[in-house]
Amino acid sequence: MTLAPSRAAAAGAPTGARQRPRRASRSVTGRWSRISYLFVSGYVLFALAFGILPTLYAVRMSFTHDDGTFAGLSNFVDAVQDFRFLPAVGHVAAFVGVWLVSLLVLVTVLALMVHAIGRAWLSSSVRFVYYIPGALAGAASVVLWLFLLNPTVSPVSAVLRAFGFSTFVETIAPGNLPVIFAVIAFWSGAGGWIVVMYGALNSIPVEVLEAARLDGAGAVRTALHVQLPMLRKWISYMAIMSLAAGTQLFVEPRVLSQASHAVVPNDYSLNQLAYLFAFKQGDLNGSAAIAVLLLLVTLVLSVFFVIRGGLFERD
Amino acid sequence: MTTEHPRGAATPLRHLVVAATAAVTLLALAACGSSTSPSASKSDGSTSAFGFAPVKQDSSAAITVWVDATREAAAKQFQTAHPEVPIKVETYDGGADGSGSFQTKVEAFNQAGSGWPDVVFSTQNNEAAWASQGKDAFAAPLDKGYLDKSFLDGFTPGALAPVTVDGTVYGLRNDLAPTVTWYDTALMKQFGYTVPTTWEAYQALGEKVGKEHPGYIVGTVGDSFAPEIYFWGAKAPVNVVKGTDQFSANTSDASSVKMATLVDDLLKSGSMAKESVFSPEFVQKYTGKVLMMPGPVWYSGALFNNPSSLKSAPGTIAAGLPLGWDGQQAVAGNVGGGTWYVSRHSANLEAAKKFMEFVTSDPSYQVDLAQGLPAYKDAGDKWLAKQAASGFFAGDFAKNVSAAASEVWDGWGYPRFSQEAVWAKTVTPALSAGKSLVDTLPEWDKAIKNQAQANGYKVK
Amino acid sequence: MSATSPRRSYQLTPGAWLGRAATVLVLVFFVVFFALPIVWLLIASGKTPHQLVSTGAFTPGSLGALSANWGALVHFQNGIVFQWLGNSAFYAVAALAITLLTTIPAGYALALGDFRGRKALLTTTLVVMLIPSTALVLPVFLELSAVSLVGKPAAAILPFSFFPFGVYLTYIYFSTSVPRDLLDAARIDGCGELAVFGRVAMPLARPVVALVGFFSFVANWNNFFLPFLTVPGARSPIQVGLTNLLASVPAFNFTATGDAAVELPTLAVATLLSVTPVLLIFLFSQRFLVAGLTAGGTKE
Repeated sequence: MTLAPSRAAAAGAPTGARQRPRRASRSVTGRWSRISYLFVSGYVLFALAFGILPTLYAVRMSFTHDDGTFAGLSNFVDAVQDFRFLPAVGHVAAFVGVWLVSLLVLVTVLALMVHAIGRAWLSSSVRFVYYIPGALAGAASVVLWLFLLNPTVSPVSAVLRAFGFSTFVETIAPGNLPVIFAVIAFWSGAGGWIVVMYGALNSIPVEVLEAARLDGAGAVRTALHVQLPMLRKWISYMAIMSLAAGTQLFVEPRVLSQASHAVVPNDYSLNQLAYLFAFKQGDLNGSAAIAVLLLLVTLVLSVFFVIRGGLFERD
Repeated sequence: MTTEHPRGAATPLRHLVVAATAAVTLLALAACGSSTSPSASKSDGSTSAFGFAPVKQDSSAAITVWVDATREAAAKQFQTAHPEVPIKVETYDGGADGSGSFQTKVEAFNQAGSGWPDVVFSTQNNEAAWASQGKDAFAAPLDKGYLDKSFLDGFTPGALAPVTVDGTVYGLRNDLAPTVTWYDTALMKQFGYTVPTTWEAYQALGEKVGKEHPGYIVGTVGDSFAPEIYFWGAKAPVNVVKGTDQFSANTSDASSVKMATLVDDLLKSGSMAKESVFSPEFVQKYTGKVLMMPGPVWYSGALFNNPSSLKSAPGTIAAGLPLGWDGQQAVAGNVGGGTWYVSRHSANLEAAKKFMEFVTSDPSYQVDLAQGLPAYKDAGDKWLAKQAASGFFAGDFAKNVSAAASEVWDGWGYPRFSQEAVWAKTVTPALSAGKSLVDTLPEWDKAIKNQAQANGYKVK
Repeated sequence: MSATSPRRSYQLTPGAWLGRAATVLVLVFFVVFFALPIVWLLIASGKTPHQLVSTGAFTPGSLGALSANWGALVHFQNGIVFQWLGNSAFYAVAALAITLLTTIPAGYALALGDFRGRKALLTTTLVVMLIPSTALVLPVFLELSAVSLVGKPAAAILPFSFFPFGVYLTYIYFSTSVPRDLLDAARIDGCGELAVFGRVAMPLARPVVALVGFFSFVANWNNFFLPFLTVPGARSPIQVGLTNLLASVPAFNFTATGDAAVELPTLAVATLLSVTPVLLIFLFSQRFLVAGLTAGGTKE
């Protein structure tokens, strides 16, 4: 899930980029067509080997027993009926819920505010500061947050104590975890999205904003009635990406479990459960079943968005 | 960007299907490859002199040894004593708190078909339950010709029980870890208390301490191994293993409930701490204020006689006999007692053997450096004598500790999953949130049974 | 938005002033929120374990303590941290090279070429790009395990090299920023397709090569889940190594005592070290990044 924001950041690229009448100058030659295959061949090879093939292989495994015989849905049934499955779904759902809401609200508000900064150097500096934690995606950010969440060493121990947390174990009580994971994910990922939203805001014609101002609209009303509707696609893009990424929660609970004397269980998220199936119970087929379920969720979200989201229509 | 033409939805999908179909062909190829996984091609003939089929041996191959940070000293000591043996020492978490990292890491190497360590130390005493099983079994049997019988016989009777599966020994015990009743003789005298010998008297004393000397404690339930101190020591049948696939747990058994009530009472009275003995908070709050504390023998070196922990004054701390229920024979619980395993995949079994024998029995580590009571009888006796000679502990330390070591209750099994992890996940947060242990029992019961079932046990 | 433009501030009503103040407050709060942890990490790296818990959070430590912490980190398992860093660098750079070799031509052909299956490839790229890479980790692991690649460097490098997002970026770039006429002109001049790509398109593509390289490198360097499964043990990259180090920190694992124990400030140094390459790239490419990231969104 740590990847999404930085990817998203650069996906700022597509806006307003579809205006070229490309079909007019199409030069179809057999040579170019053949050489095109050469150009895409490397990528296609990798796409098959590490995109399509593993997916199909996992699907195959999820429908077979470990001796290769057809298992029907039994791997899925076993996985879903495992006593850890529903709690893990609940954990992931709680985390994604908290994270999505905070992302949607805060990123939008912050992007609008940053966009409203008059001085260019200040605006770009603020954006950059927001973006920096993206460098710490992955295990490093979680380790850093172990410090921040530990009242004995935390620079914000006063804040923790104000919430009534005087020990690390109290801070990471099960009820707090969705919020904690959301904060960590927000910290390292929100900056990228703010930059993307900022880019999208920049694409709104100055005349439109000027017109709104002449109509007597204040900053808030302009934001609500002019800018937000223009951001809608980007916000839904962020929501879909984050939803898909959020379901993949793994490194955060894993590191926290390791650091909390197992108070944060090692079966907190679905990916952790899939990991345990494969590495603790030696059940690769059950693990494949969970992986396929997770993949299916993200695939559905992704296909839905590509087809309906409108962000990628250019051909 | 806003236009949405009806064909748009169908076309990409059709393309996807085409792409997918094309890849199916390739999938078939990969599937063929899977039948020749490395594990399948390996011979499992147990006809060898060791009771397993060793890989090709190379007496100059370096052995890789996994230890936790504490046991790195053992490996270092070995390097000093045997510079001729090539060895690579790596540290890992030692499986602490039931993290299961030993197993998951080995499983990763099973997948890779290489990379296994030659010797592994684990703080958990239930690793043999999985390491001895399956077609990719990791642990080499030790008593089928690999290690000398005379050496194995040198262990304290019963010490190898946790690493014995179906009558075969798969590991060596590093130390014995029976629980004893630690108490501060100076404080006892100062407060005018007598040392309890039963759980009932212990409970009464705890309540009294809560009233008369708030801030002082008689124990803590903050560690993931708390059930192994209190419930194992209370003969609570919550971890019963029969054979390799039968499991039962009963937290509503009378001894379970009695112990849970005891803990609740003491928590309420304030004389039972909720912090882990290793947390800085514990050291900060309770240095000099531990009146009593049931716990394993290794508290000796890890807490009391440790300048960066409780740093007790010499001659004040005593190890009393384990507590028992009124009118019943007292039994000891047990917290770990590390275990050592040799990999079947080791290419230098001779060096691994040398290492195993050294770290478990050589006085230069087990007597001079080890924090706990060595499981190897000879080293154990010397260690006890050394503790007695140092005069750090009050009372008859050696006698009580030896007695406790022989009283470990055998009704507590060594399943393939970690009781510590279950406790940490279900009970610790509940207690931390102020819930009573008695109220948490059903939840704990369910969690234990679920975990047993997930690990392939038939649960009664 | 002009209402909050500074030049007009003298006209602001009290309500607008309050709004302005609230905006500043929120922006500053989040500057602190995003920056403070990193600043603190820098400071914590230079403290002794005792100073870490006893002195103020932002009281600087000393160079002596920093070098002691560094020494402790290097001492840990005889400098295994360098091996982890080396692994990370090897995986990230090798995968980066393969990524560039495969994605740039592919994006170029997708944008400017015309061949059967182009649309299908583009759609598949979009779909796979939106799937979080972690979702494919277990399937990829199962596949690598089936072909006995687990534990080999290729088990990290090859999956890293599949980077559909890079193809997408290149595709966008070539289809918007490189005039087709220019390429056609080169063709008329008698250039072969390879020469057109190599001599005309590539020099123009430098910005997107840098951008793809940046994202690929950062993604590879920070990836945890995949190498955690596919390259265990001594082949681990620094991100996985960091969590191994964590297991030796007494505050997080009580059995870690004695000589091999790692103190918190040492862990801080390791954390810092593990992100330094990416952080440096971030800092040195600040202008390029903010411009590059925003460029697409800016109205042309």
